[in-house]
Amino acid sequence: MLSEAEHQELNEILKKYPDKRSAVLPALYIAQRARNYLTDDDIRGVAEALDISVTEVQAIVGFYTLLRKDPTGKYIVQVCTDLPCALRGAEEFYRRLCQRLGLPPQGGTTDDGLFTVEAVVCLAACDKVPLAQINLKYYENLSDDRIDAILDGLRRDSEDA
Amino acid sequence: MTVTLTIDGRQATVPKGTLIVEAAKQVGIEIPVFCYHPKLEPVGMCRMCLVTVGTPLVNRATGQSQLDADGLPIIRWFPKPQTACTMSVSEGMVVITDSQEVAADRKAILEFLLTSHPLDCPVCDKGGECPLQDLTYRHGPGVSRFDYDSKHHSAKRYPLGDLIVLDRERCILCARCTRFQSEIAQDPVLAIENRGRDARIVSYSNPVFDSHYSGNTTDICPVGALTSRDFRFHARAWELTNIPSLCNHCGVGCNTVLSTRRGQIARIMPRQNETVNEVWICDKGRFGHHFNSSPYRLTMPLIRRDGELVEASWDDALQHVASRLTSIIEAHGSDSIGGIAGACLPNEDLYLFQKFLREVIGTHNVDHRVGLSATFEDDTVYAVGVGTGTDLGRVGRDTAFLVIGSDLDQEAPILYLRVAGAARHGATLITAGGRPTKLDKQSNHSLRYRYGTATHLLLGMIHVILEANLTGNETVPHRVNGLNELRANVADWAPERVAEITGVPPDEIRAAARAFGEAKNGIVLYGPEGLGWGNGTQGTSWEAGSPLRQAVANLVTLTGFIGRPNNGVIAVLPHANSRGAADLGVVPDRLPGYVPAERPGLNAQEMLGGGVRALLVAGADPLAGVTLADELEFLVVQELFLTQTAQQADVILPAAALAERDGTFTNLERWVQRFDPGLPVPGQARPDWTIIRQLAVLLGADWAYATVGGVLAEMAQAIPLYRGMSYEQLSQPVSLSRRMSHYIYAGMSFQAEMREGMQWPALAEDGSAKLELDWLDPPAPPAEGDGFTLVAPRVLYDGGTLLGQAEILGTRLVQPHIALSSADAAALGVLDGQGLQVSANGQSISLPARVDGLVPQGVVAIPRNLKGAPAESLLGEGRIFSRVKVVKG
Ligand code: SF4
Ligand code: SF4
Ligand code: FES
Ligand code: FES
Repeated sequence: MLSEAEHQELNEILKKYPDKRSAVLPALYIAQRARNYLTDDDIRGVAEALDISVTEVQAIVGFYTLLRKDPTGKYIVQVCTDLPCALRGAEEFYRRLCQRLGLPPQGGTTDDGLFTVEAVVCLAACDKVPLAQINLKYYENLSDDRIDAILDGLRRDSEDA
Repeated sequence: MTVTLTIDGRQATVPKGTLIVEAAKQVGIEIPVFCYHPKLEPVGMCRMCLVTVGTPLVNRATGQSQLDADGLPIIRWFPKPQTACTMSVSEGMVVITDSQEVAADRKAILEFLLTSHPLDCPVCDKGGECPLQDLTYRHGPGVSRFDYDSKHHSAKRYPLGDLIVLDRERCILCARCTRFQSEIAQDPVLAIENRGRDARIVSYSNPVFDSHYSGNTTDICPVGALTSRDFRFHARAWELTNIPSLCNHCGVGCNTVLSTRRGQIARIMPRQNETVNEVWICDKGRFGHHFNSSPYRLTMPLIRRDGELVEASWDDALQHVASRLTSIIEAHGSDSIGGIAGACLPNEDLYLFQKFLREVIGTHNVDHRVGLSATFEDDTVYAVGVGTGTDLGRVGRDTAFLVIGSDLDQEAPILYLRVAGAARHGATLITAGGRPTKLDKQSNHSLRYRYGTATHLLLGMIHVILEANLTGNETVPHRVNGLNELRANVADWAPERVAEITGVPPDEIRAAARAFGEAKNGIVLYGPEGLGWGNGTQGTSWEAGSPLRQAVANLVTLTGFIGRPNNGVIAVLPHANSRGAADLGVVPDRLPGYVPAERPGLNAQEMLGGGVRALLVAGADPLAGVTLADELEFLVVQELFLTQTAQQADVILPAAALAERDGTFTNLERWVQRFDPGLPVPGQARPDWTIIRQLAVLLGADWAYATVGGVLAEMAQAIPLYRGMSYEQLSQPVSLSRRMSHYIYAGMSFQAEMREGMQWPALAEDGSAKLELDWLDPPAPPAEGDGFTLVAPRVLYDGGTLLGQAEILGTRLVQPHIALSSADAAALGVLDGQGLQVSANGQSISLPARVDGLVPQGVVAIPRNLKGAPAESLLGEGRIFSRVKVVKG
């Protein structure tokens, strides 16, 4: 459910729209921010706040890959394996990454709950392959070593925190 | 404005804005579609309708088409094929649908749709009437080039609630079902979740697929993905016998197709009638038919002997009735006999029923109004009912609706769809009620009055309309009497004063009244929750001359919203033939055709209260929860089931159900429509009208009616309103051109004839008739103070005898409860589901509480006609509102 502060934030956003339902994406973004994923309660809360049906909000959540219904790691590592990237070896890059993290070849979440790794379609950076998007930030022209270094850095960050 | 274009060499002239697919239909060319449906907004999702389109090259300087060497316009072709379902026609457009390219496109699209289609046609319910099957046969490839083992699999039996099952492998994601739910039903409870290969239809409502209209999605689904649990795997489409019938569950009079197999109803589907139900029916109509083949049907006459009901022959039973009636008449006179007929009986039966009492017995003791759901006394529509030719499916911007005291989504679902649809197409919608209803979501003005003050609100609106001079200038000066008196009378009812009584802010009253008065056409629908608190007899449903009805009549008369199509009043009466019962004089004070009776008889309440010694009851259950009056010596009941009334009868005569016989009903908009017989009669049951005829003959009348049509012929002679109606006329299929112009490809059962009824004209349509603006003082507003106001709304899935037999609707039937606002629940300290005790009238009833955001503070709602009749026993004798005490416990 949305917290009091989140409700207030949402109300501010609602002022910008003539029609409440138009605010569904920012509302879901707020609801998802704290935990990286949305519970059914979060979704119901958004539907009620915007006066639209739960089914409509669920369908929107299902449509956008950045909105999630399952718990994820702290960092979501998305690797594009779509055709142009695949032609430049992104599939192997992805498979090796999963292997080094001890994950099955299709990806998943590491045991420490830190990384969720998944293959996605075009991230619109086909000229900088291999690439990964980690919690909305792009890391381009990667090699195995570079991505390992980046993940190590994140691991250290979260240990420090 | 029309536009002329060429389609495959044929010239079509169609209104501007017409879609290519519709224009093609007009010249007999069928463009295949999946996602397109004429009732839904086009989306262009499936690409099945691709055609080649070109437009004439126009010289920008002259605005003229450029011509080639032969003097023909030069056509600029769109570089890619276009979707005929989303593109509107334009002048000089050229469309090609019969080329090799188009054929190749169709084939390719079908091949795509079939890549992972399960092709289980041999066991699919849609098989035989499936657009995907038909179009593949016609345009598709014969074999698939895709690898069988790589097919995508998904859920085959996914329950979308209790009524509908989804086969996700068959779904082609055309979004017809989701669009129907969002656009037409206004219940956006279906959606497409995820995308690409994972896209699927879902519902997250509680209960799942929560809508009164869900069954319609099975009709419009162009494949066998959505099936009703009721029909799934029960029969193949080609084994069915399809009978044109009517729904008997409410006054809308939806046209249906009864599909029968081996003497049973296999399914009920809508039968297209653009002026009544278009192509829809509600779930009550679709699934509520199981009573027909119920094992509890009465099949033999029963006579009470030594306190026990025992089987008897028809001869014995009828003889027994005739001789008892004769001896009671001899001893006590004709007025010691009375009759109550249900408003679910067909016209012919009702006509003979009242004729039997009036002419054979010699009494006016006849009525059809029992319980709270009884129709209210209604002759308003006789005078100012909507003009003949009214079609709510076609009205838009220039029409204003005022819906007062009615929850259409519950009381008359398909009327709800049509009014909501009109609002969607720009009509002004004003809703007024004691609580918000689903229609309020669509309304432009939503007025919330305190229960019991509906009349005051209307007087306030009339005040504003007169003040702003929004009276109908064409009709009012010549045809209307009493304008000055009315002006004087409403002078006292300025919005400020009305606001104090009703609780509706004055500005809202003004805005709504102006919006109504300024429209070109105006329609008022009034329902059961506006009535009550009448003069003298407070809160009774059948008070004569209700001030509310008078105010409604005055409102439409002085605005000139009368006597024309799409103008006038619709009374939202409760039963399938409530309109017919009023028309045909099944009331003690009026003969058929709204002719006053010289010597009014007793009404139902008086008869039940001991006013008669013998009572004939046909198709009604007036003794539910009521004990037999001591004065009553002899009770005869014609029924389908052993109802509470039948259990107390001396003679029970088993009647045939609607599906087993023919006859006519008159719907809320006064369409008289015919239904045909489709099932064999169980046991020895007989149609009610034949039972009445035989009794009349035994009592010495020379009644020779041989058919229902013969009875209607007499009605057409005897009752001016029904003049010109004939069984033959009512059986005529609609003309081919009319049928073509409404033709909807796919998902419609065209196996049974499309017919249109005949509508009798309201008095106001006679241009020479003078109309009176009578005045009735509004009732005193209900006293505030201790306790709560109890109201008894009508709900769709109530606890009536017929509906209770439909197991499939079991979980949807409304269980007895008491609904109240969350503020009141908190004040009383109850949680949802805990017990509440309501007392009134010396009665006390405990029911579980239901906290309902829609119930206003200070009001408790117990739906009427539930199991055990809690609302009825608290309200008593036909009252609609009452003050009650509510405590925890
Ligand atoms: S279930 Fe039927 S109507 Fe709904 S999207 Fe699928 S194919 Fe279309
Ligand atoms: S709207 Fe009324 S008449 Fe139509 S199907 Fe439903 S219950 Fe029957
Ligand atoms: S295909 Fe990988 S980023 Fe575009
Ligand atoms: S795209 Fe035109 S019918 Fe589907």
